[in-house]
Amino acid sequence: MELETKPVDVAELRKNLDGKAGRAYWRGLEDLAATPEFEAWMSDEFPNRSSLMNIDRRKLLKFMGASMMLAGLSGCRAPFWPNHKMVPYVNTPEEMNSGKPLQFATGMQWQGMMVPIVVESHQGRPTRVEGNDLDPTGKGASLPFMHAELLNLYDPDRKREVRRKGQIATWDDFSAESTEALKTIRTAGGKGFAIVVPPTNSPTTNRVLDEIQAAMPEARIVAWEPMNRDNTYQGTRAALGAPSEAIYDLTQADVIVSLDADYLYSGPGALRQARDWAARRDADTSHGANMSRVYALEVTPTVSGAVADHKVPVSTTQLEGFARALAASLGVAVDGGEAPGALAKWVEVIAADIRSKGTRAVVIPGEFASANIHALAAAINAALQSSAVRYTATAVRQAGGGTVRFAELISAMNAGQVQYLLMLGVDPVFSSPDFAAAFAKVPFTVSQGPYFQGGAKKALWSLPDSHGMETWNDGYSAEGHAVIAQPLIAPLHDSKSHLETLMIVGRGARGNALEEIKNTWRASGSFGEGFERAWRLALNNGIVPLTAPAVTPAGGALTLAATAPITGTEVVLRPDPTIFDGRFANNGWMQELPKPLSTLTWDNVIYVSPKMAEAQSVKSGDVISVKVGEREVRGPAWVFPGQPENTVTVHYGYGNDGDGMMARGTGFNANALYSPATQFAGMSATVSKPGGTVSLAATQLHNTMEGRDLVRVLTVGEAGHDDHGKEEGHHKEGHESGLTVDGKPWPLGHHDEQSMYHPEKEFANDLPQWGMSIDLNLCMGCHACVTACVAENNIAVVGKEQVIKQREMHWIRIDRYYGPKDTRTAFGQKVDLDNPSTTFMPVACMHCEQAPCEPVCPVAATIHSAEGLNQMVYNRCVGTRYCSNNCPYKVRRFNFLNYNDRKFTEYPEYKDLRIRLLVNNPNVTVRGRGVMEKCTYCVQRINDARQHAKIEFSKGRREVPEPKDGEVVTACQKACPTGAIVFGNIADAKSRVSQEKAKPRMYSLLKELNTRNRTTYLHAVRNPNPDLENA
Amino acid sequence: MSVVDKDAIEELLPGEQSYEKLDTQVTRLILDPSQHKKFWYGFAAVGFLGANVLALAIGWLLYNGIGIWGNNQPVGWGFDIINFVWWIGIGHAGTLISAVLLLVRQQWRNSINRFAEAMTIFAVMCAGLYPLLHTGRPWVAYWLFPYPNVLGMWPQFRSPLVWDVFAVSTYITVSALFWFIGLVPDFATLRDKSKGIPAKVFGVLSLGWRGSARHWLRYEQAYYILAGLSTPLVLSVHSIVSLDFAVSIVPGWNVTLFPPYFVAGAVFAGFAMVITFAIPMRKWYKLEDLITDVHLDWCAKIMLTTGLIVFFGYLCEMFYAFYSGVEWEVFLANNRMMGPYSTMFWMLWICNGLIPQILWSKKMRYNKAVLFGVAQVVSLGMWLERFVIIPVSLHRDYLPSSWGMYTPTLWDFMFFGGTIGFFIFLMFLFFRFLPVINIFEMKDLLYKKIGEDHSHAPVAEGGSH
Repeated sequence: MELETKPVDVAELRKNLDGKAGRAYWRGLEDLAATPEFEAWMSDEFPNRSSLMNIDRRKLLKFMGASMMLAGLSGCRAPFWPNHKMVPYVNTPEEMNSGKPLQFATGMQWQGMMVPIVVESHQGRPTRVEGNDLDPTGKGASLPFMHAELLNLYDPDRKREVRRKGQIATWDDFSAESTEALKTIRTAGGKGFAIVVPPTNSPTTNRVLDEIQAAMPEARIVAWEPMNRDNTYQGTRAALGAPSEAIYDLTQADVIVSLDADYLYSGPGALRQARDWAARRDADTSHGANMSRVYALEVTPTVSGAVADHKVPVSTTQLEGFARALAASLGVAVDGGEAPGALAKWVEVIAADIRSKGTRAVVIPGEFASANIHALAAAINAALQSSAVRYTATAVRQAGGGTVRFAELISAMNAGQVQYLLMLGVDPVFSSPDFAAAFAKVPFTVSQGPYFQGGAKKALWSLPDSHGMETWNDGYSAEGHAVIAQPLIAPLHDSKSHLETLMIVGRGARGNALEEIKNTWRASGSFGEGFERAWRLALNNGIVPLTAPAVTPAGGALTLAATAPITGTEVVLRPDPTIFDGRFANNGWMQELPKPLSTLTWDNVIYVSPKMAEAQSVKSGDVISVKVGEREVRGPAWVFPGQPENTVTVHYGYGNDGDGMMARGTGFNANALYSPATQFAGMSATVSKPGGTVSLAATQLHNTMEGRDLVRVLTVGEAGHDDHGKEEGHHKEGHESGLTVDGKPWPLGHHDEQSMYHPEKEFANDLPQWGMSIDLNLCMGCHACVTACVAENNIAVVGKEQVIKQREMHWIRIDRYYGPKDTRTAFGQKVDLDNPSTTFMPVACMHCEQAPCEPVCPVAATIHSAEGLNQMVYNRCVGTRYCSNNCPYKVRRFNFLNYNDRKFTEYPEYKDLRIRLLVNNPNVTVRGRGVMEKCTYCVQRINDARQHAKIEFSKGRREVPEPKDGEVVTACQKACPTGAIVFGNIADAKSRVSQEKAKPRMYSLLKELNTRNRTTYLHAVRNPNPDLENA
Repeated sequence: MSVVDKDAIEELLPGEQSYEKLDTQVTRLILDPSQHKKFWYGFAAVGFLGANVLALAIGWLLYNGIGIWGNNQPVGWGFDIINFVWWIGIGHAGTLISAVLLLVRQQWRNSINRFAEAMTIFAVMCAGLYPLLHTGRPWVAYWLFPYPNVLGMWPQFRSPLVWDVFAVSTYITVSALFWFIGLVPDFATLRDKSKGIPAKVFGVLSLGWRGSARHWLRYEQAYYILAGLSTPLVLSVHSIVSLDFAVSIVPGWNVTLFPPYFVAGAVFAGFAMVITFAIPMRKWYKLEDLITDVHLDWCAKIMLTTGLIVFFGYLCEMFYAFYSGVEWEVFLANNRMMGPYSTMFWMLWICNGLIPQILWSKKMRYNKAVLFGVAQVVSLGMWLERFVIIPVSLHRDYLPSSWGMYTPTLWDFMFFGGTIGFFIFLMFLFFRFLPVINIFEMKDLLYKKIGEDHSHAPVAEGGSH
């Protein structure tokens, strides 16, 4: 039956074709000829097989034998590999398309407000958090906290069940016992009942709380969390008459004075502030003449101070003195303006600068600065009629009063006046030693939170807390827009949200959170006509624009509280820069995220100024003791350049008593220094050195540029001058080189007169050529790109020991260099330890055209793509590490151990960490032991955009099957709050990235190595006040 | 053959000698176990222990990954490549003695070439473990070999690591063949002198050697061809190893001087190792007649010469770092001299530059204790040289943000100690079971001294022309 090929008779073909109209398809000329052999071949069920007729007996037996043996082999799979099953949906959920993620807009509770976020979901599994593009605050950008929130969802250490005295119980048991316990309390009008909740502006939660308060007028409801914003509200109340939110519009600010404010990184408005700040740091238009100028006075160095034009380390006392003097000189009627001592010149110059700008100046107080600072700042802004800030009424519960109520609650507990205590989502037993001391006097205690630690261990009832992505919630964003948080996944464990627990406790019955929230908004009327439609739109968008009512200054003289003078050393308490108040203590992404500025991971430290360290002969890592009265904390010191001379900063949040896999053994408990009376104010302390050291894991061990030309920083005026390159001995770059391709300026800028490479031969194909530009002028070192990259690319957490061995896996890192006091990086100058200039440089794979890693790989595991990507083929990599040795940028990361599967050796008690795997991005390979990895330019996003473009092209919706400019957005670029990272096709002169690269500020890192990097930088520009150049 | 220089031969083979005495002097070590005293058992035991430590270190490494070592982000290569280069270098003396000195008709090589060749092979075996096992995924390290495969992938031939694979595998193949061919006539002697199972084993190994003129003709042809093949290897292997560094763009690695400088260093280290083994061996086994003071003197002279070449290399490296004016190179030179690993650097200069200068004095060259000491110092110095080149260059390169330190772990030391133990174990097995001195070549020398003097005893069949 085998088909014997006969020569095709062309004449016959022509005959057959004759007279055929319409579209005739044929597979080959044989088909067309319709020969009988072809017909036979066509009709055969298995064409091209060897005819069964040709098989003789012996062959048949051979095949049978072989088949039986191979059939037996299939049984060998089970002992060696798990037997996975793939089951298709019977009824596919709406819009579910395997392989295509869905995105849902929701919100994340943060410091009493709702941060609008968009969560990507792969088949019902949230895999990454990004900002909400529709949010006028963040415009799609995000901060590390937002990315890391996702990992908390899958934390294997999360509390999974209700417990009573440590024994597993049920919600029904709790409900029954709680109702019973409240019976007598209810009749007594709630006397003896106390609830501690985090301050929130959620209208539904507050409505239910109000309901409880109305039913039990004597109940104590306390809205408190350790890192609260009461100082803000108390200060604005003093200055404006009502606790208010300050909403800054820094695009309107020519002069910004920061009073200990980390306004680019911390606080609910940070994303918008960073964005607006960036908008006014345009260094290109008329050589940066329009740039804003930032003065930062800092009690602890922050990233916002690092990118300021002037920064001054001050103690809290000096800060208040400065603020008073500045207020007085700007016409605020303030009592007792003190002489600011050494800061007199600063007051004079800054006041003059502000006056010259009229309303286009603003003073920003830090979240953790004292109420007086907030009051003075609000008064100054009001006096200036600053156009860069507006004050609106806050919807946060007990704004400015929570801490006072908290202190009252502690005394009530001590007096035995509290019988039923409900702690919802806050753990004051851990956070406040005063509270912990009084805790034992309460007979019926309930703690709801994500981990079994602190209060949960001591309370009668421990309730599991639902993650924000498992629950319905609502609230207002920092700017007052309504945000509805919708769940992306049913609760993974037997948990409930705060709202649901409040309903159980307050009403004695379970309620429907979604209905409650809808009722709130339906009743509020703020969604306008046609509620159901508006509601669905709100869920889709995640944000409903609203305008919070403005607060008008009450006027009159400002009365400020007296501040206790500091004797001896001053100590201030601040939340940890990465794990915050401790909520990320068990989050590997945040623990391993280098803390901005110090680059420390896995530990909190006590910041000590270099002068104090010298005087007390303290080195980084030496354990020091900080004593405030009877309270003492001991922890490792960190000699921190730029720390005010006589101030130590203690970071709060570490040291819980849970046994979380990540939190265990990290940091020290600094909560002893917290008391509701002092909060974040400067306290008189004695510092001593009791002995001992702690090994600390910093990711950057060398902090100066060694006079090398790495991060370029110039000042306004110098910037963009055509001769600056020559001055520093560099060749002309970018458009200055005068090179053109097809009449357009050469975008790569790697070319100079000496180069043997010719741009016109550069791109041998019509494919897009990917490149990146990073504006160092906008990078403020917040590390959002790092966590975004970790989340996107399934980057392993390696642990403290491995970080100490310098084996962290981050594909992008923020290099931080200290320089001389002058804000510029003058080469060869010594670092001024007391107040160094600080510069940041995000470094990821440069995707060099002439990549040094490629020729040295013995197995071609790292190769160049036709689109200019330097690709890593994990499956091919044998792990010689030669590529990493030969990489001048040291951006390659090696899996020294099997970082993604370490449960057996290191965490034997965890039998099942599979839940942790749910966080992985299915589009990115999880790397195993022994292979090299590095930044891919998010190749999965490029391919995703290309697939989309091809589909669009095939449907005739676009002209080329390639992504348009701006359609490929890398994870780091998407996250960057200041938009410092631009990615795109550099072969297209019109693309944004080409335009960035054409700027005169463009330069290539280590250009002299002729690696011809696809990632280039724009140098930073500072705008110092000429009057203060030598202050 | 070369012109017979009776005086020279007298120096190399002093005293009353006979063919039989020669035979027994060497073969007794194999045929009479009582010749091996406590020190043999002691060292073999130490070696065996070391070999087991190595097995343990390899096992744990395969189970966990190279994270058990101290290698880290800036320093991708540490002990693994230091020790690889060190071991490869040690092998070089064997090849130089066997091949180059054979071709240039240096008679004095005859008594030391056998064990020097054994050293070569064992050292290359130790060396070979490192590049194989230092990879992240050693189970796929065979991808470095060009072999037909369904992936349709060749190795990436531009990489010096692939050149290394060729260089080292050629080296071990040629060295092993050369060694074995040279052993064939001696195996025949042993076959004739032993009984029972050893006779059978040596019989098989001797490949039917009967000492006929035709055999000798074939032998000479094969031996000289292999010598001819080995000679370029002396230069090429370490040149190629040096290219692992010279090809890169790491400051301190990217040095055009490396190939000759590495070769000289290898010979330097190799002769140090020859001296290390020759001095105790000749004493314990009473082979002073065969391995004479003159042999050691000449080894010492070669060591001194190559040491000077190496030291000149160091000076050149320093000079060109500053002369180039290249920021990175200048920094590197300073960092070597004054950085955190400056102790290593200065010890290197002392070990390889200063201390070997003692050997200018003839008295010192003839003082066995001093010579032995200098050989140890040189071995250490050459190890330090690789340390200074590899981690010290890597730990501070272009971007200060990535700078770090390299601290080897216990497992690094166990692996290194294990290879030393393994090497000692193999050497002592070699002393026990194979002729440590080339019997027939010594007879050739004896022939030049005493002619066909059969007065003492009949000559064994394999033993002469």
